[in-house]
Amino acid sequence: METGSTDIFLSRAAEFFSLQYDFALYALLAAVLVGVICGLVGTFMVLRGMSLVGDAAGHATLPGVAIAFLLTGTKSAPALLLGALVSAVLGAMTITWISRGPRVRADAAIGIVLSTFFGLGIVLLSYIQASPTGQQAGLSEYLFGNAAAVTPAQIGVVALAGAVLVVLVGIFYRPLSLMVFDERFAQSLGLPTHWLELGLMSALAVAVVLSIQAVGVILVAAMLIIPPSAARFLSKKLPGVMVASVVMGGVSGALGAMLSYVYEGVATGPAMVLVAVFFFALALGFGPVGGALPRALRRRRARQRAMPGGAR
Amino acid sequence: MSFLIEPWQWGDWMWRGMLTLNLVAITCAVLGVFLYLRRMSLIADALAHVALPGIVMAFLVTGSLDGALMLGGAAVVGLFTAVAIEWVSRQPTVRSDAAIGVVFTALFALGVILLSTRVRDAHIDTHCLLFGDVLGVSDRALSLVAWSTPLILGLVAIFYRWLAVSSFDARFALALGVPVAALNYGLMSAVTVTAVAGFEAVGAVLVIALIIVPAATAHLLARNLKAMLAISAAHGIIASWAGMYLAIGLNISAAGAVVVAGGVLYALAFLFAPEHGRVWRWRRRALATSGPPRPLSPSG
Repeated sequence: METGSTDIFLSRAAEFFSLQYDFALYALLAAVLVGVICGLVGTFMVLRGMSLVGDAAGHATLPGVAIAFLLTGTKSAPALLLGALVSAVLGAMTITWISRGPRVRADAAIGIVLSTFFGLGIVLLSYIQASPTGQQAGLSEYLFGNAAAVTPAQIGVVALAGAVLVVLVGIFYRPLSLMVFDERFAQSLGLPTHWLELGLMSALAVAVVLSIQAVGVILVAAMLIIPPSAARFLSKKLPGVMVASVVMGGVSGALGAMLSYVYEGVATGPAMVLVAVFFFALALGFGPVGGALPRALRRRRARQRAMPGGAR
Repeated sequence: MSFLIEPWQWGDWMWRGMLTLNLVAITCAVLGVFLYLRRMSLIADALAHVALPGIVMAFLVTGSLDGALMLGGAAVVGLFTAVAIEWVSRQPTVRSDAAIGVVFTALFALGVILLSTRVRDAHIDTHCLLFGDVLGVSDRALSLVAWSTPLILGLVAIFYRWLAVSSFDARFALALGVPVAALNYGLMSAVTVTAVAGFEAVGAVLVIALIIVPAATAHLLARNLKAMLAISAAHGIIASWAGMYLAIGLNISAAGAVVVAGGVLYALAFLFAPEHGRVWRWRRRALATSGPPRPLSPSG
């Protein structure tokens, strides 16, 4: 890159972070909140080995949105979001319900719910489109998200829900962490694991619904999976992973919103995801817990200890 | 019964759509069984999503919207995805489900950005990529499916024993001298080719459903691998026919209707499968817990 374009980039980035434009402020707030909330909830999902439930819950919002539209006949945001929330919770609960018991693989259960719910959503949308009153209610925006269109009221809702989530995670921290690492042990202690499961799935659904507006259906899964996966390379302890995941999610949001402001045509969602992927690649290479470089160094040190004098 | 026959007289789009849909359904159902047994169903989710970045990148490299080149590009990106997922999941702190999630969403994000910045002028319809156009299958899509289906099914037949052994017990297969890793990449390539050939006709969402759901139904009903393959293929075909007629009758999205029909078939199998159906299990449990308490040991 030439110095000229670097200068332009820096001045545009400074312009964005000076927050003199309201829409830049709103996009930044929305993206950071989404990154933080997804980083927090995603940590539990990734550690439980249920990363892709978030993907399924994201796809499962579609029929809820369509049914809410059919029932109310308006594109009013609260109704559509409520519909999305209900069907996301239903989808997540269906996954845990059918994957309990024999002859059902958990990964297939995720795929079944994802495709069937999404298929139902497509069917309903095509029905709405064919009916005289309906028009396709911004399907591509719904699929890919648009952080720049987020209103202050929506940011308020997201911030409030995010704060509630943080408080709830704080209250239920011990049972949740037990359940994440050893569900049977938690059960044997008499913890209500079914209710915790329901709570976790509801939290996931809330996170998904709050994020869809900013990042879209498909990429909400990325924000739920990539920051926690990167954080696992940084710490061996749950609080460490959680904090690292939340920080990386938030920073990805901020940088993603900035990139989307600087480069015309780049949407916030994909930009956030690519920043998070960059963090993941760094963690994969240099993370203290199982990163490639520290592992190689440790192996070399061990070899030197075993064979002093450098004999090979 | 006229509604069953009538659509066939409206033009050749009906038999073209049905033929394509059924061929895709059979291939997906057969490959889906092996993926299911290996607990790799969600690879299908990943491979169907990376078709978007694959096509966009192929367009950027070749500069044309020519079909063969784009499909080639999509296949290359699909294979890259399979290799990347395999590599990431071998890292000590990353589970395979997280590896799938990281890799395909990253590529999808890249595809969306490239699409919006570099290829704004070219006409790449994301809606069509996701949902396909079952009622308007192009010659290219039809011939692609017609070629790839016998090819893939033939390969599955040739390597059937190896695939079977390594799906049930990879270590045992390795001990027998089966080239498990090569077989694995072969299977991934077959899924990629099927997804790429299928998504133009039926869309990414339907490819995912046709790979994952029939195998899951078959696992509830079958007692051996051959029966599982047969039931899985039958599920794909029944869902295709039911979905097509639903779509025509109600004037709704064909891809969506086939997906929903498949989901309903799975739900029926889940509840009423002869041996493993949940309804029978609930009844057995209710019978076991009701009635007078029985003595712990036979009273003599």
